[in-house]
Amino acid sequence: MTSVMRLIKRFVITLILSLMVLLVLNIVLIIAALQNDKESLGGWKTASKLTETLTMGLDGEYQLSEEGKRMLEEGNSWAVLVQDGTGDVIWHSENLPEEIQLHYSAAEISWYTRGYIADYPTTTAAMGENLIIVGNPKERYWKELYPTWNLNLIKNLPRTILIFFGANLVIVFLIYMIVVSGILRSVKPIVQGIQGLPGGEEVYVKEKGLLSDLAAALNRVSEMLRSQEYELKKKERARADWISGVSHDIRTPLSMVMGYAAEVEEETEASEEIRQKAGIIRMQSIRMKNLVNDLNLASKLEYNVQPVKTEEINLVALLRETAVYFMNLDIEGKYPVELRVDIHCISDGVFSGDKELLKRAVNNLLLNAQIHNPAGCRIWMGLSEYPKEFCVTIEDDGIGVTDEQLEKLRNTPHYMLSSGTFSEQRHGLGLLIVQQIIAVHGGRVAFGQGIEKGFRVDIFLNKRRKAIKMEGEKG
Amino acid sequence: MKYTFVKQPQGHNGTPGRYSYLKNKKILLVDDEEGLRQMVCSILKKEGYEQVKSSGTVKEALELSMSWQPEFAILDVMLPDGDGFFLFEQMRSFLDIPVLFLSARGEEDDRIRGFGLGADDYVVKPFLPRELLFRIQAILRRTYKEENPMLKLAFSQVDFERAEVIRQDKSIALTAKEFAILQTLGRNAGRIVTIDSLCEAAWGDNPYGYENTLMAHIRRIREKIEENPSKPASLITVKGLGYKLITKD
Repeated sequence: MTSVMRLIKRFVITLILSLMVLLVLNIVLIIAALQNDKESLGGWKTASKLTETLTMGLDGEYQLSEEGKRMLEEGNSWAVLVQDGTGDVIWHSENLPEEIQLHYSAAEISWYTRGYIADYPTTTAAMGENLIIVGNPKERYWKELYPTWNLNLIKNLPRTILIFFGANLVIVFLIYMIVVSGILRSVKPIVQGIQGLPGGEEVYVKEKGLLSDLAAALNRVSEMLRSQEYELKKKERARADWISGVSHDIRTPLSMVMGYAAEVEEETEASEEIRQKAGIIRMQSIRMKNLVNDLNLASKLEYNVQPVKTEEINLVALLRETAVYFMNLDIEGKYPVELRVDIHCISDGVFSGDKELLKRAVNNLLLNAQIHNPAGCRIWMGLSEYPKEFCVTIEDDGIGVTDEQLEKLRNTPHYMLSSGTFSEQRHGLGLLIVQQIIAVHGGRVAFGQGIEKGFRVDIFLNKRRKAIKMEGEKG
Repeated sequence: MKYTFVKQPQGHNGTPGRYSYLKNKKILLVDDEEGLRQMVCSILKKEGYEQVKSSGTVKEALELSMSWQPEFAILDVMLPDGDGFFLFEQMRSFLDIPVLFLSARGEEDDRIRGFGLGADDYVVKPFLPRELLFRIQAILRRTYKEENPMLKLAFSQVDFERAEVIRQDKSIALTAKEFAILQTLGRNAGRIVTIDSLCEAAWGDNPYGYENTLMAHIRRIREKIEENPSKPASLITVKGLGYKLITKD
């Protein structure tokens, strides 16, 4: 599923970018927040400044300047000056709280420098050999009591941050995959279902999980499509059955028309004129018979209810058989058929297809020549072989077709296929059937003018073709 | 449009003299359409078949078969009280006769069913009387063979019993292949038989590739039956398609 891969890739890129943006933003925010505190260096600056404002007077007493006083007032802090050596407080600000001791041992100084004096966070500064301690208000600062860090830790900080960042990324990605795979699991059957719909497959998706309503809708659609298809098939079958029924019912009465006409035609006692008329009736009833047969087959091919039986066929034998069947029925010998075969085809013209249907197609073309040339004509049948296809040619030297007729033949759909009006000129069912049969075999039919001015039909049959498909192939 | 009618010579489609013994075979016709029964009866009678009886139902047909013992039956498939296939099976239980189905049902399945049951032919309506007669004659000829079947040709006679040709009072033996080819042509006398059918008759199931051999055999047959083999009068070539045997009757 490449679309899913694309989705994941896009997500990961978005994730990395947004994490980076977040990181930068956070760093900036932290720096900005710390900026305020930076100026005073957390009270240490006050302590060192105080050393400058405290001076020893002539009387040996320390004096805090006005600036120093203001600094302490503003900071609401107090200060003591501890003498080196003795540890005694030799000066302190006026606002010194009572609980602050006035003598410090070295250990206390070390401790109070790091931490608090009676909960007052302290900052210190050196003043000559002495130490000044500033006590800040209790709630102002938090002091780290053990301010040492492993140097390696600090050195490796960039790498550590990167590892942190990577670990975060992996965790976020894992969370995403778990969530997504859950969604994918519920989407997958639906996607498969939708992909199956155009193929006409029967689609059923379990209606549970995250997308159960989608699955339900898909099932409804599939059900609807199937029932529509079934209805359509039923309708088509009904039409084919109806045509089949009509053509069946017409056969018995037509038998009598044909039979009696033929009988009158051969009646030696009847006048020449009557016999001629009977001949016309016989001929026309044969046309009707062919029409009925064609109509039946055409509707079956059109509505895909004609089964196609594939077998290996020797095309030469098939052409001979059809030609001979036709000639044996042409008792007056008005339509002699000649077969010309490409020498290579004699034993190798093997094609796999439906023998009866192909015979029907060729016979229809012979009958077509007969119908359009009542005065008789010569017919040539040919079989040639090309690298990829066989070409069956049926040509006559009859009345032929004009260019205009040919154009119509090629471009006007038959009424069985067109939903338009019935007024346009149409060609016979015979040729439609030929086209349908050849289409079923994956071939094509070309109409044209013969060398002898007659009508010529070329049937091209692909040697290697896929299995016969009835669906979607219309003549 | 002008249609000219050419009267066919006898023996082509009509009654060859040597098969006249078939004309007194008893024929039973079963069809529910009375008009069609009348027509087929009249066609058969006109052709010379003397004994034709017909019925419109399965029941009547079975009764007639028992009492009259027909020698050939033409059956419709759709009958008011059952179908022709059923009737055929019933008849077969007590009567072993050839049967031709004459049906308005032309579906492949119906034909296959008919032939599967052992029918000799299956003709789909509508039909030309000539075609029906030819098929009936072919079945009868196959089923009821003459004592000594002789095929009369322009310059000779073929004796299938002894597998020889008689020309100018001399008898010339036929080889097995020549016999098979001549027999197939004789059975379809007056009609073109394809090269493939002849090869099949002589060489069996996979008949392709024997065309040149067939031509050689035809030449030898002509030497035996024709007066002038290069201008044949009986065994005619239909170019590219097959051969036709013209009989004298």
